[in-house]
Amino acid sequence: MTTTPLRRRGAALVAALLSTTLVLTACGSDGDDADDTGDPTAQTRTVQADNGTIEVPADPQRVATIGNTTLPFIDLGGEPIGVTEESATNVARLPEDQQATYASAKILATSADEVDLEELATLKPDLILVQIPDAEFEAIEKQLELIAPTVFFGLDAEWKALADGIADAGNVADALSQQKKEFGDKVAKIQETYGEVIDGTSFVDISRGDFNDPGTFYIADIGCSEIARDEVGLDLPEAAEGADPLAYESLSFEQIGELSKYEVITYPVDAEGQPTEPFVPVVESNTWKALDAVKSGRALGVFCPGNNSYGAAIRYLDSLDSALATLPAEE
Amino acid sequence: MTALALRQDGPGTSAVPGPRRRLLGLAVALALLAVLLVLSVMIGSTSIAPSVVWDALFHSSSGIDEFAIRDYRLPRTIVGLVVGVALGLSGALIQALTRNPLADPGILGVHAGASFAVTVAVGLLGVRDVQGYMWFAFAGALIVTLMVLALGSTRQGSSPVVLVLAGVCIGAVLGGAREALQLTNPEAFDAMRYWNAGSVVGRPLDVVWPILPFFAVALVLAFAASGPLNAMALGDELAAAQGVQLVRTRALSVLALTLLAGGATAIAGPIGFVGLMVPHVARWIVGPDQRWIFAYSILLAPSLLLVSDILGRIVMRPSEIPVGIVTAFVGAPVLIALARRKKASGL
Repeated sequence: MTTTPLRRRGAALVAALLSTTLVLTACGSDGDDADDTGDPTAQTRTVQADNGTIEVPADPQRVATIGNTTLPFIDLGGEPIGVTEESATNVARLPEDQQATYASAKILATSADEVDLEELATLKPDLILVQIPDAEFEAIEKQLELIAPTVFFGLDAEWKALADGIADAGNVADALSQQKKEFGDKVAKIQETYGEVIDGTSFVDISRGDFNDPGTFYIADIGCSEIARDEVGLDLPEAAEGADPLAYESLSFEQIGELSKYEVITYPVDAEGQPTEPFVPVVESNTWKALDAVKSGRALGVFCPGNNSYGAAIRYLDSLDSALATLPAEE
Repeated sequence: MTALALRQDGPGTSAVPGPRRRLLGLAVALALLAVLLVLSVMIGSTSIAPSVVWDALFHSSSGIDEFAIRDYRLPRTIVGLVVGVALGLSGALIQALTRNPLADPGILGVHAGASFAVTVAVGLLGVRDVQGYMWFAFAGALIVTLMVLALGSTRQGSSPVVLVLAGVCIGAVLGGAREALQLTNPEAFDAMRYWNAGSVVGRPLDVVWPILPFFAVALVLAFAASGPLNAMALGDELAAAQGVQLVRTRALSVLALTLLAGGATAIAGPIGFVGLMVPHVARWIVGPDQRWIFAYSILLAPSLLLVSDILGRIVMRPSEIPVGIVTAFVGAPVLIALARRKKASGL
């Protein structure tokens, strides 16, 4: 990320002010005293992250989240004091209690690369969790570390590793253990119930977002579809090793006919089971209606509330379970 | 035709073909367009047998591939044809009006107005479908061009240079405002990525029909202005001496090109190079007579657009490249080659 001279000067000013504040704070308090009080926030431990070994509070109370760490932290029961803004679509897919948690946090910026560092400093966080592109992190790393211990995860961190890292740093490992158990049980139940279908059926997951050009859709081989393929074992298409995900390719509607080579099609629906708004043009097209899978009830709407935390994955598996239950029996 | 006689003495115009050769060329251009229309229906990102295409067009079969032809390829081909005609003619008009061979409709702020209006519609009003924001694009193009016309008019009328300056200025301001809106609204930016590239994918014919009456009016206005524009190529004073009403001719031309370019942008987004390059090619073939340039542009521009769209469908199968990107790739080298030809660059 490049910064303008004005922004660089602003960042330098913030850093200088923060340094002064931290020095004054250090002069005014005695670390030993803090330990003597038994205050758990004064005790520390170390965690491993993509920015090294970080000393974090043993029980952080004022956590700020930047980038993709917000929703996984909230999903684990965390209550961030400051967050970067999530899309309205992502927020709408959260359970009500999590929506309330998100709403009570201070919005620090509309996007992760524009975090208001001054505002973040005034929140006095004791831990900052970050997942943004490496280059964006490098631009603000020093300023963040002046504000509070900062735990960074690169974008290549797999969702389970991210959950582990967030739970460890944010001291919400108990919630993670529960979610992991529930997730494992749910996967096992689906595999047991639909073992025959899973073994002998070709699936394809397709989707369409607001960002797609009119008249185009894509094959979703990342996101929730990864959970269905890699955890549950559904036979779903996947990009060749080293190639870009299939989801990066926009396909024109005339290629809807190509989906006829798959036995079951899954597509995105909202929490109420209706096709998501961007996907409506697909289900309204004549080519979609003419597909054998659609005509025979083997096009399944599945709700994907997110794919970077166990809670969201569990809700996805619930929806997949319900959808698979509607598959007509083989004749 | 005095104007033509004078121009024919000028550099690079000594080999202007006669009417019969021009007509023959026009027939060839028409045949080329007809072939490309057929190819556009036949070729796509999926392979569909010619017999299926035939069935889809002339029988009421209801297979998946037949639907794909009727619902996607045919509308896409018609959209390419209509948008191409509009871009070609508007390009010829703006070049004749400004006497600038490097002018294209965007120079009067048409694209900037349309893009800004679509950004407002998508980013602030939440409009997401092409049927919804096409009217914003059309209105944006019209309003901005009227603003340019008002700002570019002096007491002596509207000078082409002042018009262009006003267009460039307003375009720059609106471009900045559009980018600011998109940067503060990433979802709008995402939603507009493909529109900004210029595409004819997924535009149903419902998008084309409402714009057609405007195009018809613009077509009549353009050909009505073509004679006076020939005279104005000699300079305002000589044109006025021949009885040309300068203000009226410019107003008609601006109105026509705004309807054409605004409508085309509303349907397909900003597609560059077609309006810039095709009138060049036409002028190279037929010489400086605007009536012939207009006629050739009307046939050659959709041909270029359809070729580009067909290429965009097959070079990255199964994915596609938006036609606006392909026209830039095809258009830029061709334009450079043409610009290096002495006789192609004069007006």
